[in-house]
Amino acid sequence: MKQNRIIFHIDVNSAYLSWEAVYRLQNGASLDLRTIPSAVGGDPKSRHGIILAKSIPAKQYNIQTGETLHTALQKCPNLHIVSPSYGLYMQCSDAMMKLLEEYSPVIQRFSVDEVFLDYTDMEGHWGDPIAMAHKIKDRIKEELGFTVSIGISSNKLLAKMGSDLKKPDAVTTVFPEEIARKIWPLPVEDLFYVGRATLPKLNKMGIYTIGDLANYDYEHIKYRLKSHGALIWNYSHGQEASPVRGGKHVDIKGIGNSSTIAFDVEDRITACRILLALTETVAMRLRHTENVCGLVAISLRDSELRNYSHQRKLFSPTDCTKEIFEIVTELFDEAWKGEPLRNLGVRVSELSSNELQQKSLFDDVDQERNRALDHAIDQLRLRYGSKAIMKATFLNSGVKSMIGGVGADDYPMMASLL
Amino acid sequence: MRVVAKPIDVIAKFNKEGIPTPIKFKITGEDEAEVTIKVERVITRDLEKLAGNKMFVFRCQSVINGGEKIYELKYGLETCKWMLFKI
Repeated sequence: MKQNRIIFHIDVNSAYLSWEAVYRLQNGASLDLRTIPSAVGGDPKSRHGIILAKSIPAKQYNIQTGETLHTALQKCPNLHIVSPSYGLYMQCSDAMMKLLEEYSPVIQRFSVDEVFLDYTDMEGHWGDPIAMAHKIKDRIKEELGFTVSIGISSNKLLAKMGSDLKKPDAVTTVFPEEIARKIWPLPVEDLFYVGRATLPKLNKMGIYTIGDLANYDYEHIKYRLKSHGALIWNYSHGQEASPVRGGKHVDIKGIGNSSTIAFDVEDRITACRILLALTETVAMRLRHTENVCGLVAISLRDSELRNYSHQRKLFSPTDCTKEIFEIVTELFDEAWKGEPLRNLGVRVSELSSNELQQKSLFDDVDQERNRALDHAIDQLRLRYGSKAIMKATFLNSGVKSMIGGVGADDYPMMASLL
Repeated sequence: MRVVAKPIDVIAKFNKEGIPTPIKFKITGEDEAEVTIKVERVITRDLEKLAGNKMFVFRCQSVINGGEKIYELKYGLETCKWMLFKI
């Protein structure tokens, strides 16, 4: 790969909230959501759900992304809450991609609101990268109405850290010679791949800033944290060389949906109904990607907010709602300890193409018919909506026949790999 | 000009490129009575792409209640709806 690359990381400032605000202003709303304490997430009427994005005035009330509407409203009773509209966010994201495509052929949509752009060799055509980044930022603000932060560096890791340094509406460079000054003073948890599991281990070793980590002995950290230690040590020196993956393809590693329930689930039948509704969504999405799964997992969260999960590898891969649900119920019966549940999730992974599949002696004899049934149901739902056809168990049960599923899932909210 | 964002009925002409020009529009006033206003002059036309949502914005001029008035009409390409945006 080329030695002196120039990579931009473009990050939309409070994406969901800005997009919602701009759209509302365009359609005649009298107030700008960005100027008042406001948040996107959940359902403002039932006050159920979590905060997905918040405005800068809302930050002063210490409102955190991911907390429930209930606790957020306790912190700030006049918080203005709007429901998310994922279709709009994809539209905004697409519009931004289209604008960026004018500047470089190599663009990676890292998530719905983050994009990497490879500017290497573009100086000859467009000129100085910093001036160009300012121009791109201003054009997005002018034409699309929202602000972005752009980080510029020689690789994706540093570009991403750069866009985080100054916001909103800013351009920041973090070239390798600037690491010691700009990155090392930051707390070590700001480093990509240092999460809540690694952080306590590093703190125990006396590492609190990225600089501490960078100046730590490489062999020692590798000995303590194995390959992960080597990785983050390299990251702390800004060493990362993954290419900007162009094209629209996103490698999907797994598909999952989960839902926080408005009440405590205490009986097995209701829990299984919710799991079935989740499985319906997950299986339909799985078939839509033309994959089969080799692993099924469930996750449960009880009313004390303790999480646990259970998973099983399949003997033969499948994409059939019925087969997946059978495993989901087995897993549930094995894992559930009988306590009240607040959140249930279903996830499938180890995906492989559905083009060729190994038959086995132990396959369900009705496999072909089930597949045809799934296909027919998917078609009906695509054409007439998810409520067009449902399993009879949901009748008068108070549980929706399909739970979960948002447009933004076509792109991960946050990719786990650079 | 003040934002009103009122939905309106519109007669418009479309040229071969698919670009519309408003000719007249009908609006329900505060007293529930319908008023028809002829668009006498389209001063500017812009394509707005805010939030990736494409809308034509027309700045127009008409005689309303005996006085010359300047106002803005918007046409949503996605919704195919017109509105009186500002007056």
